[in-house]
Amino acid sequence: MYGWIWRHLPGNAWVKALMSAVLVLAVVYVLFQYVFPWAEPLLPFNDVTVDNQ
Amino acid sequence: MGVTTDRDEQTDALSPRSASPAVARRRGRSKIALAVSVFGELLITAGLVLGLFVVYSLWWTNVLADRKADRQGDKVRDHWAAGEKDSGPGALDVKDGIGFLHVPAMHNGEVLVEKGTSESILNDGVAGYYTDPVKATLPTTGKTGNFTLAAHRDGHGAKFHNIDKLKNGDPVVFETKDDWYVYKVFAILPETSKYNVEVLTAVPKQAGVTKPGHYITLTTCTPVYTSEYRYIVWGELERVEKVDGKRTPPKELG
Repeated sequence: MYGWIWRHLPGNAWVKALMSAVLVLAVVYVLFQYVFPWAEPLLPFNDVTVDNQ
Repeated sequence: MGVTTDRDEQTDALSPRSASPAVARRRGRSKIALAVSVFGELLITAGLVLGLFVVYSLWWTNVLADRKADRQGDKVRDHWAAGEKDSGPGALDVKDGIGFLHVPAMHNGEVLVEKGTSESILNDGVAGYYTDPVKATLPTTGKTGNFTLAAHRDGHGAKFHNIDKLKNGDPVVFETKDDWYVYKVFAILPETSKYNVEVLTAVPKQAGVTKPGHYITLTTCTPVYTSEYRYIVWGELERVEKVDGKRTPPKELG
């Protein structure tokens, strides 16, 4: 999977490495900005109140 | 593992297209190897994503929440400095926050207190006072009752992270524009069910009190990093000090 991506990136090894880094950062950004905030309330780690539900 | 398979694939790709049975067999095996390697990479990816989620929960949400809480806290202080009246509960600026909680034993500075205990409020790195299921009695009303608060134990500012450091007799100070409300901790419930709303009642019997008084209740989740149970700390109002011109804190915060 990652090998496939690496082979399909254009340029020499340095360009590939740079683009990979950008891709990784983009993925981390999407995770932190959209995926984790969405997933967090669905997981039972951070409920602090007492209630009847 | 992944590297070897990649190399295998590359050699395959480089080798001339021959129909020799040996190559065909090799192709067949490399298909399985490819599937295994993709599966392995997916597992590694899942592990990394879970690791990132921990980083997000325990670090990044704190960064965001502290930033937001600082901004809102500054706004409240600005309102106060601008001399806006807050005499009488109706005039309170409840949207930005009603005051600050100081708990020296928790070593976390001042905690802004806002109305409500929904995720969207508490995630801003503040403590929220209950409006549901039992309505909190604000100390500013002067009435007897229970000033019930909740805040995050971990992530989103983790304002009550060190709640377990509180001992009986420790001060809990609530600061409003005009007054310092000095409470003393008198009862702790280190573990209770999350359905135990009795702890929020005006006269919390589980704290060992039977008469109405000016109580404060701090609730958060326990053990740390989970929310299996709730940790409860009760305090009772000891005295109210007027805020002076320099906002000199009471001696408990010295």
